[in-house]
Amino acid sequence: MKNRNDEGARRGGPPAVSSDNLTFSYPGSERAALANVTFELRVGEYAGVVGPNGGGKSTLLRLINGLLRADSGNVRVADLNPATEPYVVRRRVGMLFQNPENGLVAPFVEDDVAFGLENLGVEREEMRERVREAIRAVGLEGYERREPHTLSGGEKQRVALAGLLALDPEVLLLDEPTSMLDAAGRSEVLERLEELRGARTVVHVTHHVDELLDADRVLVLNAGKLVADVSPERLVSDPDLLRENRLALPTTLRLAAALGLGPAKLRTPEDLASAIVQKIGSEARAR
Amino acid sequence: MRVELQNVRYVYAPGTPFEVEALQGVSLAVEPDEVLGIVGGTGSGKSTLAQHLNLLLEPTSGRVIVDGVDARTLKGSELRRRVGLVFQFPEAALFAPTVEEDVAFAPRRLGLDEEEVQRRVRETLELLGARHLAGRSPFALSGGEKRRVAIAGVLAMAPEVLVLDEPTAGLDPATREDLLGVVRALREGGTPVVLVSHDLDEVAEVADRVCVLEEGKVRAVGTPEEVFYAHPEASLAPTTVRVVAPLREGHPEVGRPVRFEETLSALNGLLEGRG
Repeated sequence: MKNRNDEGARRGGPPAVSSDNLTFSYPGSERAALANVTFELRVGEYAGVVGPNGGGKSTLLRLINGLLRADSGNVRVADLNPATEPYVVRRRVGMLFQNPENGLVAPFVEDDVAFGLENLGVEREEMRERVREAIRAVGLEGYERREPHTLSGGEKQRVALAGLLALDPEVLLLDEPTSMLDAAGRSEVLERLEELRGARTVVHVTHHVDELLDADRVLVLNAGKLVADVSPERLVSDPDLLRENRLALPTTLRLAAALGLGPAKLRTPEDLASAIVQKIGSEARAR
Repeated sequence: MRVELQNVRYVYAPGTPFEVEALQGVSLAVEPDEVLGIVGGTGSGKSTLAQHLNLLLEPTSGRVIVDGVDARTLKGSELRRRVGLVFQFPEAALFAPTVEEDVAFAPRRLGLDEEEVQRRVRETLELLGARHLAGRSPFALSGGEKRRVAIAGVLAMAPEVLVLDEPTAGLDPATREDLLGVVRALREGGTPVVLVSHDLDEVAEVADRVCVLEEGKVRAVGTPEEVFYAHPEASLAPTTVRVVAPLREGHPEVGRPVRFEETLSALNGLLEGRG
């Protein structure tokens, strides 16, 4: 995530997504899945959401797109209430799920990407144009007539993302979009997400802190409470905050920190290898 | 227990336009006292392979041998008790009104007396750190909690080998660590574990041997050190190996560490100028 593009973060007007004392309990559960959660995301912001299993991450996404209805407090998308206007909200909010196997329905990639538009009754020519554009945005040109089941996990997840983009949502909700993908598939999907940055507001739920190193901010949800709303730099440099929330540094950063090499710029294993080579060189000269 | 696949081929949808040969002559053994990691990209055949270990899928050709006996001659229910298979997203199969009853379901069906059933429920929930959930409805649990309950349900059958298909996908890092602890504990207790995973870092931490599948064939099998250092490219090696491999040309004394702790100590040694 290199090109931090804040141009889309328009000031003024209603926030893209906000909540005020948002509280929700599942039937039969003794504790609230979310309790008094208050936050505000500006248009174009990229927000990560992390925290332990059961912390309330997925519940938050489901409240934002109106799949669940708050017990008290509220959540707003632009100035709309997803609980009372779910169909309007869902035209503005796209959600990408964990397992790419579950979302693909059509025999060919282009049909799958067009599926949501067909349901909205979009004109044929416009639909073609939007499908073409969405497929281009996820880097799958030439895949239009491929059958989804022949694709890799990363490709399938990009098809699912294209299906969302074709609907031109203002807000993208990502629920652990890489957790079923191998390293290659993960980086494919992350690259595409990075390119969307700024144009849309993104809420990205993940257990991989390394996916959020360039996020504008990271919300930490634990046992239903919003326990931190911090920059990614702050999160990775606070071992207590990480531990208390059952988070871990990615292996590269953990190794770098344990070796006393400042974690700041060392994102990939290859970066760390070069830093070690340099350090050996400078120590050899010093001796 | 030892389970062996001998030249197993498996064809999905044979005779249709969708025919796919998912396994193309795989021979591989799960040894009695090991954690065997199975890695490979999506579509490489990992899950198909896992489902052959208890004949949930029957080979199109080739054989599965369990402790020297052709698995096809064993009773299906017996085989599935001895080879415990935890699917991807096993929480989808939770069904009982409480966690306790869900975990008790399979051992009760084995005809064990109630005291033994309860003992197994307690022990497996304890092992997975889910004892406090016993009286809850499985449907009111979080994703990670459900996952642990579903795994407990398989362990309650006291399988002689445990097969886990992507068990940590979607778990928070601390829960993942706990689950890897369970894998180690089972192995210490004499139960071999097959861990199918796309996360090479976790395979690096717990596997005694690694099998790399590619397009339905075994591309490599051996110790993590042998396998990962033979293919240190990004998509085939864990983070530790990707850090160390480029250093080896100039500094062969760093060795071939794989696990996090041994990598840290090798790199510290290198930085301090002792080889």
